[in-house]
Amino acid sequence: MRKDEAMSDPESNEPATPPRLRPVVRAMIWATVPVLLLVQLLASAGVEASSFWSQIRQLDARMVRVAESRAELIAEPLWKMRYDQVTGVLNEIMHDETIAAAAVYDDTGAVIARVVARSESPSIAEVSRPIHYSNGNMAAVQAGRIAIAYSHAALYADAGSRLVLLLVVGLLATFATLIAMRISANIFIGRPLAVMMSAIQRSKQDGRAYPAEVTSSNEFGQLARAFNAMQYTTSGALDRLGHMAAHDPLTGLPNRRSLTERLAVASRDGGRPDALVAFCFIDLDDFKGINDTFGHEAGDEFLVQISQRLRTSVEAEDWVARLGGDEFVVIRPEVSNEASAHAFAQQVLAAISEPIRLHDKQVVPRASIGLAVRRADDPELSHLPTLADIALYHAKSKAPGTVAVLDEALQRDYRRRRDLELAIPAGFAEGQFEVWYQSQVDLESHEVVGLEALIRWRHPDHGVIGPAEFLPLIERSGNNARLTRYVLTDACWALQRLAAAGRPQIRIAINLPPSELADHSLAAELRATCARFDVPASLLELEITEGSLINNIASASATLHRLRRLGATIALDDFGTGYSSLAHLRRFPLDKVKIDKAFISEIPGSAEDKAIVGVIASLAGTLGLTLVAEGIERAEQATAMREMGVRFGQGYFYQRPQPLDAVLQWLERRPVAESRILADSPPIAPEFA
Amino acid sequence: MTRFLRIWLAAGMACGVFASAGPSLAKPLDIVFVNPGKTGEVFWDMVAQTMQAAGRKLDAHVEVLTSERNYRTMQELGLGVVARHDKPDFLILSNEESAAVPILEAAEAAGVKTLLLSNTLIGEDAVRLGPPRQKLKTWLGDITTDLQTAGARMANALIRTARDEKWQSPDGKIHLLGIGGDEITPASIARNAGLKLAVDAAPDVVVDRLLFANWTQSEAEQVTTNYLGWASRKQIRPAGIWAGNDPMALGALRAVVAAGLAPGRDIQLVGLNWSEDALREIRAGRLLLTDGGHFLLGGWSIVLLRDYADGCDFAAASPHVEVKTSAITRQNLGSVGDLIKTRAFDRIDFARFRARAGRCGHYDFSLDALISSLPVPEGAAD
Repeated sequence: MRKDEAMSDPESNEPATPPRLRPVVRAMIWATVPVLLLVQLLASAGVEASSFWSQIRQLDARMVRVAESRAELIAEPLWKMRYDQVTGVLNEIMHDETIAAAAVYDDTGAVIARVVARSESPSIAEVSRPIHYSNGNMAAVQAGRIAIAYSHAALYADAGSRLVLLLVVGLLATFATLIAMRISANIFIGRPLAVMMSAIQRSKQDGRAYPAEVTSSNEFGQLARAFNAMQYTTSGALDRLGHMAAHDPLTGLPNRRSLTERLAVASRDGGRPDALVAFCFIDLDDFKGINDTFGHEAGDEFLVQISQRLRTSVEAEDWVARLGGDEFVVIRPEVSNEASAHAFAQQVLAAISEPIRLHDKQVVPRASIGLAVRRADDPELSHLPTLADIALYHAKSKAPGTVAVLDEALQRDYRRRRDLELAIPAGFAEGQFEVWYQSQVDLESHEVVGLEALIRWRHPDHGVIGPAEFLPLIERSGNNARLTRYVLTDACWALQRLAAAGRPQIRIAINLPPSELADHSLAAELRATCARFDVPASLLELEITEGSLINNIASASATLHRLRRLGATIALDDFGTGYSSLAHLRRFPLDKVKIDKAFISEIPGSAEDKAIVGVIASLAGTLGLTLVAEGIERAEQATAMREMGVRFGQGYFYQRPQPLDAVLQWLERRPVAESRILADSPPIAPEFA
Repeated sequence: MTRFLRIWLAAGMACGVFASAGPSLAKPLDIVFVNPGKTGEVFWDMVAQTMQAAGRKLDAHVEVLTSERNYRTMQELGLGVVARHDKPDFLILSNEESAAVPILEAAEAAGVKTLLLSNTLIGEDAVRLGPPRQKLKTWLGDITTDLQTAGARMANALIRTARDEKWQSPDGKIHLLGIGGDEITPASIARNAGLKLAVDAAPDVVVDRLLFANWTQSEAEQVTTNYLGWASRKQIRPAGIWAGNDPMALGALRAVVAAGLAPGRDIQLVGLNWSEDALREIRAGRLLLTDGGHFLLGGWSIVLLRDYADGCDFAAASPHVEVKTSAITRQNLGSVGDLIKTRAFDRIDFARFRARAGRCGHYDFSLDALISSLPVPEGAAD
């Protein structure tokens, strides 16, 4: 179970919280592209800055050269006072757009020529150089100086536009890189991942191995090859797991889990639509006994042999499964009619029933078979196990070792049983269970000495239901204790009312189911309940059956002793029908024996019954046990019983079981002979001592 | 009076005819002059006019072709003359900017005799072609002016005046401005060298600048203005301006006046060329002197060629004939002023300047000789 949970967990979680997919390609792009862009921009800016400074230096150097070359050209006209030529030479340099202004001064410092660019630019730098004049006749003299003012603005503008260009180129390059990364990542990463993912998805659907078709030789190719190898390994393991999950490890037969699938297959692939499917539900009788007698290993061996027999006794198209424990199923997918299905079941049963050697001892297996037959296209085909189980239940409970065929009656019973069983909790909750009381009468005095509490179920649909029908359901549904306490409480309440009605001497008998004898808490509950209703426990009588004593002798004995110590009396019910072990009468602390009505009904006609009752009466008298005759319906029966020494009687002759109110009214109408009854009452008290 | 003059003239003419016929049999000469100057350019016009006046006196037909200051045109004209079917007897060229060299060589090939006037071969050409009549047999020689002496004479006149007037600057020196025409023409170089020669000999004199004005009045005015401004900023008192020719002297004069100086009283200027305008300024006392008279080279060249054609070769003394110039001041202005003003060069008796027999190559082209060759004007006679 836990394994199942573990296996189903991931699958069940997946649709509940689908994790948001974050593609690795996008994550890679987000991780790399901003860095790339930043580095590119920084590198471009760095290169551009260094180029800019170098250009600034070059411009400065060029301006120095311009100044010096102009100084050479200007020296002669300046010296020779051809100032118009000086201006002309100076004007020529104004073609250079970086030059903002230029001026020539003579040796007196007077401005000889000055030119200014049309547009005034900021960021002015200036270079000034002396003008030296010399000729062949005279040494060099300083004729004046030249000054040039120039602007870096053009360089700034150029650098700015180049930066913008670099930015644009950088962005384009980044964009191209992004697309290239996107495409290549899709080819080299996304596609292999998708192929593997698709293989996984397909594999998840049917558990088979689907190789991922990645042929590249890179890491993804290796991963895919490893993945494929792993898939084959996993798929093999899954196949083995699947087989194990669908088969019984002991016998190798398909298990309960396979049954559902097999039925689905039968319904789907059933040959002719009017073909019948025969479903045999087999339960080995007394397999527990074999385990207890020969040990569990032999029990397993026994099951293996049975399974082999089942397999060999059926045709190839038949299907055999072990559902667990000693339960087997055999399905014949095509039978012509119900009779041949029954014959097939009989054949299977015969095969099982051949003797088996276990520990050198012959063991004859016994099994019951529930047979259900349905048409292959029956929509209820999946209910075949349940239906066969109903038949099996019937077989086991009514005729073990036989084949029971499911019919309408069985189904009706089953449905009623199922309805009642399902209605038990509602029955308790809504007080549908009623306790009726039937009087026990002193055969001599005709006085009412006690009442037997008898449970009835007033079902809203089925009317009043007798205990024989619903008590097994109560027991099976684990409600025995609850019902017992229910009856006990009602009985105590009834005792209270009897006392109030002036009948404090009347005792009430309660039937204890076998399971209650094993309940150590019963005695304490009984005392508590009596205390609650303020009635003495000695007014309670507890009726037990012989069967309940046999199943758990020690525990039952202890409980009975405890109950007796509280003052309650113990009556052995239905005496004569079960084991009727006389030893039981001696071994257990009994006060009363109730003779089963089977012995009473033929009296006084049957001499044998009279003899038996006579023996019982004689024995009881010897053992000091009080006798009660059940089922007295006629006056001559009462007379006969009295003559044979039976003290008390119970039956329709006196009173049918009735609800308490009716009983109280009935008692009301009867004369009270309190003193006589008391006087004639058997000495009960000493027995409690 | 008139009768007397007529008789004197007739006698003179007869004498002249006899005198010219004297040394040899006179043969009419055909002479072409390729004029490097422009029409209206005073100096070269006057060279051509004296040449033609001398031709008329010495039985030579002088054809003047004007190149209009374009050396390409000058070469085309010269080569055209050399290629003529009817070649002239002599071709007179001026080697301005060394443009006459190809013509000389072509004339050698064609057998046309050449004479260089005013500018002769210089530098590489002189080395390559050697002296006259060696490599180039038809190149007879050259007739030039001694302009260096002229330049020095002009400078010395300035220095003398400045010393007399005590026009020293605060540094105790006499500061002069020189204005040259250009730096490559031999005629210019010689004048400038004369200036330097004179100043070098005078320790109390300094030439602040030798400026160049392309021989033109306007440029001279411009540079003089610049100089005067500079000098005033330098606390210099300019004492004199030496100009390589009269137009530049007149330009400087205008600048001086514009600068608020009084020429002749505050500062002295000298020029060269004997131009009419210069003579007028001399008369007005604003120009100290104008040197020159070398336009007469035109007439003298015809004298040389007449003698050569008549068998009295000037190369007997030297193929290089150098003529001295003279200064016209207020003192001698009256003698030649009218001649120049009226360009009445026919008044000059060029035949008187021919070499004497046995003294071929020896000529007296001085101002005094010229003045004495002129008939006494009526006014002067009065």
